[in-house]
Amino acid sequence: MHKYLGNKRAIAVFTLPALILFTVVVFYPIVQVFYRSFFDWDGLGQATFVGFGNYEKMFFKDRVFRTALFNGFIFALMLVCIQIPLGTLLAFSLTDLAMRGKRFLRISYFVPMVLSVTVVCQLWLSIYNAEYGLLNKLFEALGIPYRQDWLTNPKTAIYAVAFVNAWHYMGYHFALVLAAVKSVPEQFFEAAKIDGAGRWRTHFRITVPLLAETYKFCLVLAITGGLNAFAQMFIMTGGGPGTATYTLTYLMYRSAFRLNEFGYGCAAAALLVLECLIVTILINRFVARERIVY
Amino acid sequence: MKRALSILLVVALVFLSAACGGGNNAANGGTQGTDSGSSSMNNAGEDTAQNGAGQQQEKIKLRIYAQYADDDTRTPYDYAVAELAKAYPHVELELEVQAQDDGQKLKTLAATGNLPDIFQSNMDIIATFRESNNIMILDDYVDILGFKSKMHQSAMNTLYADDGHVYAFPYAGNELVLWYYNKELFEKYNVKVPETYDELKEAVRIFNANGITPLALFAKEKWPDIALFDIFATRINPRGILAMDLDGEKADQFKPAADMIVELVKEGLLPKGAINLNYDQAQSLFFEEKAAMFINGQWEIAASTEALGDKVDWMFYPAATKEDYEKFKYAFSGGGGPSGYSVNPNSEHLETAIEVAAFLSLKYAEYKYTHRGNPIVATATDKEIVVPYPPMMEKLAEVIPNITSTTAFAWGLSNTKFKAALEDAAQMLMTGAYDGDQFVQDVNFGLEQ
Repeated sequence: MHKYLGNKRAIAVFTLPALILFTVVVFYPIVQVFYRSFFDWDGLGQATFVGFGNYEKMFFKDRVFRTALFNGFIFALMLVCIQIPLGTLLAFSLTDLAMRGKRFLRISYFVPMVLSVTVVCQLWLSIYNAEYGLLNKLFEALGIPYRQDWLTNPKTAIYAVAFVNAWHYMGYHFALVLAAVKSVPEQFFEAAKIDGAGRWRTHFRITVPLLAETYKFCLVLAITGGLNAFAQMFIMTGGGPGTATYTLTYLMYRSAFRLNEFGYGCAAAALLVLECLIVTILINRFVARERIVY
Repeated sequence: MKRALSILLVVALVFLSAACGGGNNAANGGTQGTDSGSSSMNNAGEDTAQNGAGQQQEKIKLRIYAQYADDDTRTPYDYAVAELAKAYPHVELELEVQAQDDGQKLKTLAATGNLPDIFQSNMDIIATFRESNNIMILDDYVDILGFKSKMHQSAMNTLYADDGHVYAFPYAGNELVLWYYNKELFEKYNVKVPETYDELKEAVRIFNANGITPLALFAKEKWPDIALFDIFATRINPRGILAMDLDGEKADQFKPAADMIVELVKEGLLPKGAINLNYDQAQSLFFEEKAAMFINGQWEIAASTEALGDKVDWMFYPAATKEDYEKFKYAFSGGGGPSGYSVNPNSEHLETAIEVAAFLSLKYAEYKYTHRGNPIVATATDKEIVVPYPPMMEKLAEVIPNITSTTAFAWGLSNTKFKAALEDAAQMLMTGAYDGDQFVQDVNFGLEQ
């Protein structure tokens, strides 16, 4: 093995197919997106070079862009605040509690992940239904006068949609945290127990710090997932009411396919790529910098 | 070692090139029509010769991208295809059902060189495709094929685009937005059919008090939102949304219309969550008599008559005052524009595709006229009406000669940026959490783009 790893040509040969595939499928399209973002182009006809015109329009003239950018951050924040803490809580409870049916619970927490996004959205559309929805009925049953038109109210719609995404993919974060918790050597917990630390103290002082790298990965997934979100808006609200649930991806879709401004859509996509890249770099720079080895 | 690595590299490259090769083959297969476009006129000549001979004709397969969603689109299409099989037995159609996606799929097909031979177009598609030579100019063919002579004079606006060219063989005439209502529910709750906004508000109040949804609107689709706004706008200016789309006017004059809609929505005009209501849900509310009123095009007449019988009727749009009601009574929302079956100029069988497109349009209109009780079609037919007009259509047929103006449906707007801004702003009106000033600001912003 060492013989192969020392051979640079062997490394090149083994990595080349994947590298070529990555370049063709990922890198080249991204370069194309950046290139096209400098053109006024309807996606079909002749393109006209406009330099940074699309970006200038986006930052200084397009009010929908501000809404989309803000919604992206809200979405990402919602995912971070719901998926990671909830995933952690469920993973910890499953490792701590000595009870029957743990296997069933583990599968149940992960089940939403395997459902198609369309099924999940349809399910939540009925839960959010203002007249007959489960959520409002629940408030009614509890005697709480808090019936809401969740997806029609421009102020709550983005939170309602983001929650659906958070619920849908929470199982993934749960699985990641659970796997990481199980990989922590038992002696750490035993030592804590001998020192008299309680269950929560052990988790806060030992488990969570040891899972820093897992949380870094979860953070990247949650934030980029939030910034990239599209399907839920497309299925549940169509970006509405009005433009209330637009994100950068939806703006990109609208520009390219509803307004025939493919170049402008590419500018939105390019900004999204940059946004995700910056977030990933920042997280890698500031979160869990030291590699933890047990 | 080196030999082993070399073999590995070769195997990897063979796999990679095989994969890419497969993709290329698929792409080539898909773009065959476009690739052979350079020789399309030669092929077209051959096609014509073959058609002229009328014997030993080679089977021709044409791809068609058309609406095929409900009875109103499926049955005329099926009829047209059946008639085509008699008139052009050598032509076979391969249907791709049109997606309700703002033309996204069609534009993608065009961008990738996979445009079907025949496709349904509207203003947006025509405006986009003519710039990139993806739509055939049919000026000569409407005369050669005798299509123009079959057009109703009143529907000539559906044949010619704004640049004076013909890009599609239309089948729909100047269709109208109708405000349907359930007569029985109005009588049961002793509600007057509204002629003024005050009467409409009173109707909304009474229906809500009795657990009936006043108006079912499938606001998720956005075009009905624009239609509802346009109804109120035409009570101010009969040009309605066209005043902004074509006449260069701003949205300011329509602020009272926006304010009135918000006021009515706050009063409970629409069901809760209306902007997430799709066509089927809204229609069910009306057909199950849970909603007293419903807004859709006149094409809904057949289905609503079937579901509600003589309980259903349509009303003239209410206005601010009795005087305005009478003044604008015959100013209708809706209208036609250049649309219909268009042809891909790069089709391998161009001449046949053009003939077939024209034929399908004629037969589509014929079926709507003879079997769907719809006289609002683009072309005339000498066939007898098979299914008599429902009473609502008879009433409409009597009114049509008196109509003073029409506007446009959302898909008939020519300015895409204005259309998108209006769609979003009109949908916001349906939430009630918006006002006339914001509406004017947002729509004007779209107009300035």
